[in-house]
Amino acid sequence: MNKMWTVARREFLSRLKTKGFIIATVLAPVFLIGMTVLPEFFMFMKSDRPQQLAVIDQTGAIFDSLVVSLDDRNAAGQRVYNLTKHQASAATLPGLEKTLTAQINNGELDGYFIIPADILTAGKAEYRAKSVTNFAENNRLENALSRAVRAWRIEQSGLSAEQVRQLVRRVGLRLIRISASGQEEEARGSTEGLVRIMVMFIYAAMLVYGQIVMRSVIEEKSSRVIESVISSVKPFQLMTGKILGVGALGLTQYSLWAIVMGLLSLYGVKVTSLFARGATPTANFSMPSVPPEILLFFVLFFILGYFLYAAIFAGLGAMVNSDQEAQQLVFPVVMLVVIPFLCTFYIIENPNTQLSVMLSLIPFFAPMTMFARIVVQMPPAWEIALCFALLVATIFGMIWLVGRIFRVGVLMYGKRPTLPEVLKWIRYA
Amino acid sequence: MQTLQLDRINKSFGNLEAVKELSLAVAPGTIYGFLGPNGAGKTTTIRMIMEIILPDRGRILINGAPNTSPAVLDRVGYLPEERGVYRKMKVREALEFFAELKGLKKNAHKKKIDAWVERFGMAGVQMKKMEELSKGNQQKIQILTTVIHEPDLIILDEPFMGLDPVNAELIKDVILEQKQRGTAIVFSTHLMESAEKLCDAICLINKGRKVLDGEVKTIKRGFGRNHVILAYDGKSDFLKNNGIIESYNDSGNYVEIKLRPGANPQALLAAAMQQAEISRFEIAEPSLHEIFLATVKE
Repeated sequence: MNKMWTVARREFLSRLKTKGFIIATVLAPVFLIGMTVLPEFFMFMKSDRPQQLAVIDQTGAIFDSLVVSLDDRNAAGQRVYNLTKHQASAATLPGLEKTLTAQINNGELDGYFIIPADILTAGKAEYRAKSVTNFAENNRLENALSRAVRAWRIEQSGLSAEQVRQLVRRVGLRLIRISASGQEEEARGSTEGLVRIMVMFIYAAMLVYGQIVMRSVIEEKSSRVIESVISSVKPFQLMTGKILGVGALGLTQYSLWAIVMGLLSLYGVKVTSLFARGATPTANFSMPSVPPEILLFFVLFFILGYFLYAAIFAGLGAMVNSDQEAQQLVFPVVMLVVIPFLCTFYIIENPNTQLSVMLSLIPFFAPMTMFARIVVQMPPAWEIALCFALLVATIFGMIWLVGRIFRVGVLMYGKRPTLPEVLKWIRYA
Repeated sequence: MQTLQLDRINKSFGNLEAVKELSLAVAPGTIYGFLGPNGAGKTTTIRMIMEIILPDRGRILINGAPNTSPAVLDRVGYLPEERGVYRKMKVREALEFFAELKGLKKNAHKKKIDAWVERFGMAGVQMKKMEELSKGNQQKIQILTTVIHEPDLIILDEPFMGLDPVNAELIKDVILEQKQRGTAIVFSTHLMESAEKLCDAICLINKGRKVLDGEVKTIKRGFGRNHVILAYDGKSDFLKNNGIIESYNDSGNYVEIKLRPGANPQALLAAAMQQAEISRFEIAEPSLHEIFLATVKE
């Protein structure tokens, strides 16, 4: 067994020191921090200069209402859009358009609306600017104009713009999750987000680290060093050593990221508020707090899911001679991981249907599907117990099976084996 | 006690009988040649000794213990025919890794590695990656990992294949030196010349079966002193239509001749001198090459 640890240590240390690992480990948090800070940063940059928009209001009545409805503020509390009113008849319109277009070209103006006199009935207006590809902005403008026109329509019935705004104000829905421990917690979208993120981590662990194990086997085969190795260590020890070594690498990487994310949720808000000039940050980054029992299940499924797929990938590595050959075989395995990932979308919304229960008990799916159920709504204990029993049994079965493939496969060079040949290996080994 | 003992081992792959009822014994301090044409079952046998594949029947003993018992194979050094290096690893780290796989403890292997690295003249490249090394130096590392734990039994599968002359000489020196230490060395080859010079004993196998084994001296004596070695320059017609030659192996200016029983070698020399200039004439034992060909043809 000592030799298994020697293999695991080599696998762990030699990969820990590679450039690829260091870059990936450092870049991921940088990316994350970027995602957190950049939007704030851009808002901060933008808030220097409000957008200057002209409004050619041929109705003569929409403008005031539009000023009210398009009152987005930046982090410093200033208006994002400054509107100026222009009036034009059908005769003067072309001339005005020319003037405004010229102002856009020399940068005095960012854009202008043309609101035709028949907007109440036709429901169509125009917006012209240098760039009209910002979907979020387009939506904002369209919504604001719609609200303004709607308000005017209602105003026709005798209400003021402010009254209308009050009347059509949206209602916010506070979402309270009732957990098993009886606590109530505010969970607006955070449970769902949490499941998505954590399932994604498990998904990535199974695919990414699993394939590192596979490539490690292929590397030893194609460099022909493998026979020297398995003359000193049993193929089974080599396989399990590799799986443990790469697994330790994965845990290390994830732990580092977890620490960074933890720090970020503690200090991240402070960082972003630096850009917001003392105002309360609008879009802040905060890690949803993860209950300890969920974290425990996450680690369990992370490790078990990794073991299962690492064993499968090790077997694939033993069957092929090169990365290219492996790609064809990898596809079905990737499907095996993608399907449960997609299923979690259904499970998050329907955690207790018969289908969800079934999906969460299939060992190849369970690391994601059962975990998703546990986060959304804790299933009965016997289901969880059954799920773990099946999963662990499958892992042992898979390691045994792959161990036999491995024993024969690592010494096979040349043509990729067919399925009947692989079955023969399993019998002979 | 024999260092290595095979007791009637058998191995089939499907319908192919790769090794059949093979027995042999290698004593400590012996260089043992494992000879046979390609596909004779040499590598299969060696892999069974290393427990890489398992025999269908039969026993394999190393230092008297079955090769399946724990730590027995730690006393064996193996250089496979298919050999390579960890390309991305540093030389020193790879050496330490292999030493530990052979059961050496961390504080024990340091001195040994230092000594071997020094002796192989590789102290300067220890911190380089394997892939930065020349092919010749990579071969040295492979030889080094085979002997680093100073094993009781060294098994070399086609050790001279692809070696440059310097490394061929190095491996020969290592073999002889380890022999002095009492190590048993088994090497497989289909190159008879290297076997002839080095081996104390041989085993010749063909199609998975042993056809001949024993001490080289004894085997040669058994084939009799009816061989003549001739180095010549000129025509070689004297090799034909001659009543005294049973068979010969002509290389153009060097010929090994097997005489008919009772034939007079001097008559051959006289005939040869009429047609060619003779620079060497020797009545000798047959070479392993001849024995190999004669035995395999039967």
